[in-house]
Amino acid sequence: MKLLETMGDAIKQGRVPARIFNDPEVWELEKAKLFGKVWSFLGHESEIPQPGDYVTRYIADNNIILARDEHGQIKANLNLCRHRGNQICKAEMGNSSHFRCSYHGWVYKNSGELVGVPFLKEGYDGLLDRSKFGLVSIRVDSYEGLIFGTLDPSAPTLEEYLGGFQFYLDIYLKPGPNGVEVYGPPDRWAAETDWKICAENFSGDGYHTPVAHQFGFALGYFPSSGTTHNLGWAVHIPDKGHAIGLGHTPGLPPFVGYPDSLVEHMRQSLSEGQLELFSKTRTAVGTVFPNLSFLIQPFSPIPGEPGVRFCTMRLWHPTGAGKMEMYSWCLVPRDADPEYKERAYQAYTLSFGQAGTFEQDDFENWTNLTRQVGTSLGRTLEFPYQMGMDLTPLTDFPGPGVAVDRYVTENNFRNQWATWLNYVGAE
Amino acid sequence: MSTDLAVVLGIQRFLAQECLALDEKRFRDWLAMFAEDGRYEVPVRVTREKDAEWDLSPKSKIFDDDKRTLEIRVRRLETDFAWAEQPPSRTRHHLSNILVDAAEAPGTYVVRANCLIYRSRGDHPTYDLVSAQRRDLIRASGDGYLFAHRWAAIDQSTVGSRNLSFFI
Repeated sequence: MKLLETMGDAIKQGRVPARIFNDPEVWELEKAKLFGKVWSFLGHESEIPQPGDYVTRYIADNNIILARDEHGQIKANLNLCRHRGNQICKAEMGNSSHFRCSYHGWVYKNSGELVGVPFLKEGYDGLLDRSKFGLVSIRVDSYEGLIFGTLDPSAPTLEEYLGGFQFYLDIYLKPGPNGVEVYGPPDRWAAETDWKICAENFSGDGYHTPVAHQFGFALGYFPSSGTTHNLGWAVHIPDKGHAIGLGHTPGLPPFVGYPDSLVEHMRQSLSEGQLELFSKTRTAVGTVFPNLSFLIQPFSPIPGEPGVRFCTMRLWHPTGAGKMEMYSWCLVPRDADPEYKERAYQAYTLSFGQAGTFEQDDFENWTNLTRQVGTSLGRTLEFPYQMGMDLTPLTDFPGPGVAVDRYVTENNFRNQWATWLNYVGAE
Repeated sequence: MSTDLAVVLGIQRFLAQECLALDEKRFRDWLAMFAEDGRYEVPVRVTREKDAEWDLSPKSKIFDDDKRTLEIRVRRLETDFAWAEQPPSRTRHHLSNILVDAAEAPGTYVVRANCLIYRSRGDHPTYDLVSAQRRDLIRASGDGYLFAHRWAAIDQSTVGSRNLSFFI
């Protein structure tokens, strides 16, 4: 694709073609070259705690059953009967030791093994080798409860893929020795929005907050003001695409919004460097390349009253060019008391999730943007991505990756789209 | 349980007035229809097998509001910066199959209804349709009624709307 041949140089000069954010040709390439190669998020271990528990999820357009088998092992298999391709599991979640196809009745264990074929003797004369027709197995790996799958058997390990981003993921995943759990099943909704603009926004778009969420400032939700909003850090892992924005407000108490007991738990699960950085972090908004994002934010449902820190995890699941389906979870510390979990969840629903006041405005902007860049003139443009090009990376930053001393910057995005190009533009 | 015809008609009128307040963007009038201890809940729906314990999550909710947080939502809509509703969506709440049954506490009623919401945004000819099952707890108050609990479950498990910047 011609566009991609010049995109590498454009990014180096701080420009990104508008067209990538809504283009059928780009989507075809993404399906094959990006989602066919990367580690894609499938689910959290707390969604399938017991043997037999399963959820169905996607990698690009491939529907996948993520199950805990009868031995407690996590297995991912394509939700497609090997006989004629029928969808064998039609629910989004449940518990089952076996899946039986409703077309000709082939039966699979939840681990994917084919164990039942009607008329094996009478129809197939006993000649069908069942061991060759198990469900298509998807390689899985996990980090701190996050289960990822890849369609590429030769992909690097998840550890290598994350490439040090674990240091930052821990702020979301390790608020204590027992980690986090999902509060409940995710909100799901569909939007005519390109997944990439969402993933970019959650890689640390501190720039949009004062305008896109201006109502929040008007209502008194934010402790940061115009003068301090640029304070914080933007960090990315070079060539991996992962990135995080860490907002800092001087004068806020360390670990603001967390109850003391949770801070004690954190001291047991995080390193000195992590504690130092996270104690100063107000907002942490990050993306695991390509499309899994997190946000942690102190929030008082009623502005001015004591608040909590809610944590949302979201998967921007692409369903076509400029089309996506959203999965949005609330993560809560497993060791927090039930009342704190409930309050954190209520803060999440009021601010994020499909009726969340902040989410509403993001999807308004992202949907309109997606439509505009798909137009005949819009698709010919380039956008400026030059913010922070001359910033010198910090040398004494406590975490890995390339860190700069600024919250409103585009360093993370240039790395994100250069990484994207490495996949999508590969021969 | 049979209910007095005047009560049924009064509650039907109350529900129609609520639709009108929402669709005419009179959100303060709408808020005043909630009791001080009123709750507003929309659970997350999950597609599950027929024999599953639940398909409306007992924990996850799309809306999980009390009157104070509803007031925050209204206050947000009153700013000039609620971009999701700028310019405002045109919504039309259509109610049908309204059933009024006396609840246990005197002067309270369980009111079930089907609710179909049409939403048009901008100058695009496309629209959102949100179909929901409602079950409200309505309380007689003075010579009128108040919502003690709005419970609405959307029929889609993947909701076909970019956001829910309107009320169900």
